[in-house]
Amino acid sequence: MNDIDPRTKLIQVLILSTLALIYNKLSLLSLILLAAIVIALLNRINLLSILIRLKRLVKMIILIALIQSLLTKTGNPIFRIGNFTLLTDYGLIKSLEFILRLGIIIVSAAIITTSSSREIIQGLIQWHCPYEIAFMVSVAIRFLPIFKEEMTDMITAIQLRGIDLHKVKFNKKIQVYKYILTPITINSVIKAKELAAAMEMRGFRAYPQRTSYMVLKMQAFDYIIIGLSIAAAFLFFTFQ
Amino acid sequence: MNNIDINNISYEYHRGRQIFNNFSLQLKNGETTFLTGCNGCGKTTLTKLIMGIIKPTSGEIKIFGKRADSLSLGSMGEIIGYVFQYPERQLFSSSVMDELTFPLIFKGYNKIETFEKAKDLLKIFDLEKVKNSYPSLLSYGEKRRLAIASVLMVVPKYLILDEPTASLDNHRIDALSDVLIELKNRKIGMLIISHNKTFIEKHKDRVIKLEGGQIYE
Ligand SMILES: Nc1ncnc2c1ncn2[C@@H]1O[C@H](COP(=O)(O)OP(=O)(O)O)[C@@H](O)[C@H]1O
Ligand SMILES: [Mg+2]
Repeated sequence: MNDIDPRTKLIQVLILSTLALIYNKLSLLSLILLAAIVIALLNRINLLSILIRLKRLVKMIILIALIQSLLTKTGNPIFRIGNFTLLTDYGLIKSLEFILRLGIIIVSAAIITTSSSREIIQGLIQWHCPYEIAFMVSVAIRFLPIFKEEMTDMITAIQLRGIDLHKVKFNKKIQVYKYILTPITINSVIKAKELAAAMEMRGFRAYPQRTSYMVLKMQAFDYIIIGLSIAAAFLFFTFQ
Repeated sequence: MNNIDINNISYEYHRGRQIFNNFSLQLKNGETTFLTGCNGCGKTTLTKLIMGIIKPTSGEIKIFGKRADSLSLGSMGEIIGYVFQYPERQLFSSSVMDELTFPLIFKGYNKIETFEKAKDLLKIFDLEKVKNSYPSLLSYGEKRRLAIASVLMVVPKYLILDEPTASLDNHRIDALSDVLIELKNRKIGMLIISHNKTFIEKHKDRVIKLEGGQIYE
């Protein structure tokens, strides 16, 4: 199913994330997540390996959810130590909501990224999205892995200077992160300047009309999937 | 005694090909070893394995008798000075002077002594003129000299330099040579990746070539 048009995937993901934002009932959010997972599996995405790769992010999401639920004091207590309310039903529901929503977003992102960024940009352009905006999206997608690599390299390098990040106290840790973030910011401004110069030299925006070498064409199959997705969303909307 | 003891390690990158399979190498105390070999044959990968930046899938690496995986990056950095192939990723500060001094001051070393030491290194590496400049905006050669100088602020027991002569002019290579000779006199062992024949001839105790995941002397 990998020759599905990127626009079809965009529409599916748009529907999924809109629904995830509109609703906050746990049962509905679970259903949306289930739908997202089914679509991902139909696209032959290995969700397990993605989960493993995003280990740290998943840990962080769970941690945030945990803290959030422990700090919420409204609602009926379901767990208390002496006079101290540890967990309320409201806090638990809110944090599960948070986890489900982020789950939907992560699975949606996995669906989109089965198309190359070039295909997605072309999809946006053929939707008459202004080229400048489509281009900015493509820059963002293209530089994301580079930023990630740069960040890990820098965190490694600063530790090799003899600074043990695990032993540093919290207030000093912030200082360490300042040392890491400053060069990344500066380097990206430098990169942006170079990229801009290279683009000017190749005549970016020299002509108002652009032609594309790559032209995407929706198949009957795409229209059917989009129709089905909208129908499913509509059903969901009316029968929830 | 061996400074660095690599025993039967294997390594492959995530979704990459296998780079080392049952690879072993011993590096001796006080010896200057040059590592050569074609682009992409795994020289940089080998240095990252030694530093514990990446972990072998099997086998073990010992650094001065200690298992590499028992050392944190912080303590590893104090034992072995490592200069990256692309030094811009190891520069952090908003000035050249601060770049040299911040790790020591951060750890609570004496400020006056730290600044004296930094001044000496700025002089040796011909960086006095740019001591207030932004490290990210230096030329490539200057960045490399600064990266080497900053690694030497803490005197390491061993030094790994990944292509240190790249983008340096002959005059600066000579200055680097003087520093290496001095370090050698202090019995500091070195592993240097280089393709510069005259530079290798000048400093070598041993030259090894990496090819197809094997070492050739
Ligand atoms: N982070 C990485 N992920 C996947 N493959 C990599 C990575 N870094 C290097 N490689 C690959 O490993 C091989 C060895 O790279 P490297 O050690 O940098 O070679 P050298 O320094 O000898 O030129 C190359 O084929 C390179 O493409
Ligand atoms: Mg290399």
